[in-house]
Amino acid sequence: MRFFTTLWKKIENLEKTVGKRQLKQLPTSFVFEWNVIRMCARGIQIMADRKLQETQAEFLLMSRELQESKARLEEAQRVAHVGYWVWDLETNRLIVSDEYCRILGLTPQEELIDLDKVREMIHPDDREAVFRTAEEAVRSGTRADCEHRLLRPNGEVRIVHSLGDLKRDSSGRPYQMFGTTQDITDRKRAEQALQQTQIYLREGQRLARMGSWAFNDSGLYWSDELYEIFGLDPGNGAPTVEQYLAIIHPQDRDSMAETIKMMFQQHCACDVTKRIVRPDGQLRYVRCVATPVIEQGVFKGLLGTAMDVTEQELLTQELRREQAYLTDAQSMAHIGSWAYNLVTHKLLHSSDENARLYGFDPSEGPISAERFFATQHAEDAPRVNAVLERAVREGTDFYLDEYRIHHTDGSIRVLRAIGHRNPSGECGEYVGITMDITERKRAEEERERLRQLEADLAHINRVNMMGELAAALAHEIKQPIAASITSANTCLRWLAHDPPNLERARGAATRSEQEGNRAADVINRLRSFYKKGKPPEREMVDVKAIIREMTALFRNEAVRHAITIHPELDRDVPRVLVDRVQLQQVFMNLMLNAIEAMQDTGGELTISVRPNSEDQIIVSISDTGVGLPPENTEQIFEAFHTTKPEGTGMGLAITRSIVESHGGRVWATANRGAGATFHFTLASEAEAHA
Amino acid sequence: MKSAAVRTVFIIDDDRGMRQAIQDLVESVGLRAESFPTGEEFLSRQRTGDPSCLVLDVRLPQMNGLDFQRRLAETGVQIPIIFITAHGDIPMSVRALKSGAVEFLTKPFRDQDLLDAIHLALQRDSAALEQQAAIHDLQERYQALTARERGVMALVVCGMLNKQIASEIGASEATVKIHRGHVMQKMQAGSVVDLLRMADKLKLSARK
Repeated sequence: MRFFTTLWKKIENLEKTVGKRQLKQLPTSFVFEWNVIRMCARGIQIMADRKLQETQAEFLLMSRELQESKARLEEAQRVAHVGYWVWDLETNRLIVSDEYCRILGLTPQEELIDLDKVREMIHPDDREAVFRTAEEAVRSGTRADCEHRLLRPNGEVRIVHSLGDLKRDSSGRPYQMFGTTQDITDRKRAEQALQQTQIYLREGQRLARMGSWAFNDSGLYWSDELYEIFGLDPGNGAPTVEQYLAIIHPQDRDSMAETIKMMFQQHCACDVTKRIVRPDGQLRYVRCVATPVIEQGVFKGLLGTAMDVTEQELLTQELRREQAYLTDAQSMAHIGSWAYNLVTHKLLHSSDENARLYGFDPSEGPISAERFFATQHAEDAPRVNAVLERAVREGTDFYLDEYRIHHTDGSIRVLRAIGHRNPSGECGEYVGITMDITERKRAEEERERLRQLEADLAHINRVNMMGELAAALAHEIKQPIAASITSANTCLRWLAHDPPNLERARGAATRSEQEGNRAADVINRLRSFYKKGKPPEREMVDVKAIIREMTALFRNEAVRHAITIHPELDRDVPRVLVDRVQLQQVFMNLMLNAIEAMQDTGGELTISVRPNSEDQIIVSISDTGVGLPPENTEQIFEAFHTTKPEGTGMGLAITRSIVESHGGRVWATANRGAGATFHFTLASEAEAHA
Repeated sequence: MKSAAVRTVFIIDDDRGMRQAIQDLVESVGLRAESFPTGEEFLSRQRTGDPSCLVLDVRLPQMNGLDFQRRLAETGVQIPIIFITAHGDIPMSVRALKSGAVEFLTKPFRDQDLLDAIHLALQRDSAALEQQAAIHDLQERYQALTARERGVMALVVCGMLNKQIASEIGASEATVKIHRGHVMQKMQAGSVVDLLRMADKLKLSARK
């Protein structure tokens, strides 16, 4: 085209140079031909010019299209996270797209990207494999295809999929590799996550022995674990309703069929535990939970889980049985159990019997701690609370021996509670039991009252018996004495007759003598009766043991009169040969005397035993009571001597008689302070054997 | 009246020595004595109408002396009782004396105390017997009256005049006078006052 333009310019320049005048001087034919040439040239030039303009427009258009196409490509690359690259195999130069830069984590057109740079950015672990793949592709001429990781400058790792194709020249020699690289990190991660989730789900179902199923337009789906639970082969596919019902235990089959019908007809959820008999004959408990899938008000199907709860069910049954036994036991023993947090005041557990102890109806449901505490007896509440507070403060167990509550039936009951700190529980958590000891307490009081009555009666009896004995004795002796006296008087009367009636007088005198003797006989008979009593049974006795026995015997009596008994038994003493019962009687008499001497004032009763130099032991019983009468202290040991209104006056006399019959001695001394001390000696073992 | 009668002291004591001693003592003062170991044996003995008394031991084998005293009273046996006991207390003696005992003595007693009590008892019994005899005599006389005479006597002792009595029994005053004369004669009454006393002893009450 330029040629034609140049030609026309040359023509024009020639015409200017030659001039029109000269041209007119040229031969007409020549001019004519010139003009033809000129015209042609001009025409060609104009045509060429036009062609050029057209070409130029066409070029512009093409160029624009190219630009747009390129932009679209860029956009596509960006959206698809696909970049391309061109690798000149001869120069090893690399041309990359903007998206490729971005995939690498670089800013497009700012940084120089060459092969070294790319090699550097491939994850070190993958680097070798990537280039080996590329080289292999170049060598074999196949497409390079690999997934590998990239290490972005900011440290981020991306996963990419690269493809590369070889370009060959006309001779078939590869000169270039053109490839794409796609960032597949997100997809890859999603895939991994999905895979992981599936693994977890499968594993979870296996571990939980829980299977899942779904029923919708696309059919019935059973998870692997569900087949496992029902003992079915997954290869046979999910069972039909009929097949399914056949596995259900006959006793549960009808209700299950009904449940399935309800779920399909009324689109309701279900939660049932039923028994199944697996093809292998095993009986299992399975809990089925199902829920309808409803989208925008339209029933789309059902979704559910099934769980093998055999172990739990058996455990639950066992637990229920145990619970029933425990409840029975608690009810029988009137013992309730509880768990309570003394810090948060939260009642964690309260057995039925525990509720009943307070008069609450356990069927009403849980009873609040406030209601339990509201039953406290006002007088006992401070003491109970102090015990509980101290237990929490010191972190120790507690024992509430007894406390009163207001039972709902209006009565006052006595309870006992034992709490153990639960070391595995939270701070202040206690588990324990509570029992009703009202009856026991009442029985104890009753027993104590009876014992007291018995003691009183025994005392009265003792006094009465002595009185009776004395009265009987008096009557027996008085009778002959009275007869004797009367006869003596009668004798005198016969003698006073005029003349004296000697015969009758003699008779009377004789009778008087007889009756006198009879009186003596009564007394002798009494003595022989006493002698005829049980012969003393002497044995080797540990006096300290007897003192301990007697101390225990009198403890309650002493406490009742605010008296403390101190047995001082630290000295070693030999055993003594005595009649145990008689020795007990001696202790009883002396200790009773001591207690009676202090019964209005209270005081201390000290019993000591020590060896004596004369192969004897000395027992001393000391009180802090009223003391001895001022007269001769020997007199108190005489029979019928008493200073007490209801005394018999025999206690000390008997004591002396017993001690003396054992070869010992008894005496009393006034204490330097208040009270008196009674001492007696007993022959020790050595002497007893002598 | 019958002063020559033999006076008897009965003794009930289960103690033979005591029984004999008391019997001997009673005999030494010239009284008759009879002793029994039990109350039953005493009851089985037929009593005479002569004065007597009972020395009774409080403690008896089968029956307490005080209960025996009550039993005697219930069966209409009237005899003065002297209690003796080896150990008596005040309530017991009060009860015995209230029930009519003459004395309550505690063994050993002074012999004279017992003898004094015995004499007192015999005197009382004599008096009682005399009174009983007198009443018996009166009753015999009263039994001798006719029914009409008893009626007239009843009205007389009420203090009615003959005229009033006549109108009361529907007879003439003269007839009443005859009846009244018979009554006074049969009853051996010297005056209306005598008759009144007799009626009192016979425990006749005015019937009107």
